[in-house]
Amino acid sequence: MSDDSVPLALPLPRLAVGTSEVTALYRELRKPLLRYLVCLGLTTDEAQDVVQDAFLNLQRHLASNGARENVRGWLFRVAHNQARNRQTSYHRRFGEPLDGQMDFLADEATPEQRVLEKEKFRRLAAAIRMLAECERECLLLRAGGLRYREIGEVLGIATSTVGDTVERAIKKLAEKCDV
Amino acid sequence: MCNVHAKLVAWLDGELPGNEAAHVAHHVERCEECRRHVARYKQVGEAFSAYCDAVMDAKTQRRVLRWVPALGIAAVAAGLLFLVFPRTPVAPPPVLAPRIAAAPVTEPIRVPAQIARDAVARDGARKRRVAAPPAYNEAVKWQRAESAVQIAIPADSMFAPGAVPKGMNFIAELTIAPDGSVTQVRLRQ
Repeated sequence: MSDDSVPLALPLPRLAVGTSEVTALYRELRKPLLRYLVCLGLTTDEAQDVVQDAFLNLQRHLASNGARENVRGWLFRVAHNQARNRQTSYHRRFGEPLDGQMDFLADEATPEQRVLEKEKFRRLAAAIRMLAECERECLLLRAGGLRYREIGEVLGIATSTVGDTVERAIKKLAEKCDV
Repeated sequence: MCNVHAKLVAWLDGELPGNEAAHVAHHVERCEECRRHVARYKQVGEAFSAYCDAVMDAKTQRRVLRWVPALGIAAVAAGLLFLVFPRTPVAPPPVLAPRIAAAPVTEPIRVPAQIARDAVARDGARKRRVAAPPAYNEAVKWQRAESAVQIAIPADSMFAPGAVPKGMNFIAELTIAPDGSVTQVRLRQ
């Protein structure tokens, strides 16, 4: 080899580190992300597409030395924005009652328990439909395990606003349905 | 209503700073109404999360169920095809069975003697008129066929002049392979 050879500047080590990190995050956050997107109104196929795109973006983000703070919030924000871009299927179907789709209830539940469970979900669905869009999104992200600060970053609102919105939404649900 | 009531949800979510959280916790310990509210908010949060899971499960299950009719139709179609076009049975190799078939065992019918004699006579006459079918010999089927082509080749073109005495003839039997080549030559006188 000649002395004037130039070392190749391939970003492989950096990419490898990012890949293992993304894989770990994928295992941890795939399901909460899917649930959030499906509850926003996307179909399962759409939600899976969005999750895949979000993780690909994260891979590029980390490979290009992007910020590593609050990766969870970053992922939810990317997924949220992509879901917003799919306006055609973004119908707010989350509040639809699950009548006729409740076969997933545990098989060991007695018929009486199943009826009670259905009734509980029906009341909850009716109460969710009464919530404002922002309140619903805050509660969904909170159910996904995000902190108020992360929710604020995803939705682009202040942390204090998130706190007020979550409190208001929870109180509305508590008033309107007896669960 | 207590003055900490507006902070109960944030306290439940662990979002209050340390000193404020400690203040709310101290109050909740002493205030039964706030404890009831906290329990209620916690219950609502859990129910909301369970509802999210239910929505997710319902949509996933619906996605799986979408394929069930298609798979069912495919299975029924495959079954019908199997019934309509059953497998072609493979013919067993021919077995030489005895030509005399066992006569069916029937109850003898009692008929008057005259009628019986006439019947025997008619039957004998019919038997004489009808020619018996030629006996089929399975072995004949597998006999070697006679050679269909005979070619006369002068001895002078095969042997040196004078090598074959005059008046002597040979018959050459050639075994020809499917590709037309000669595999065996046998000379007989």
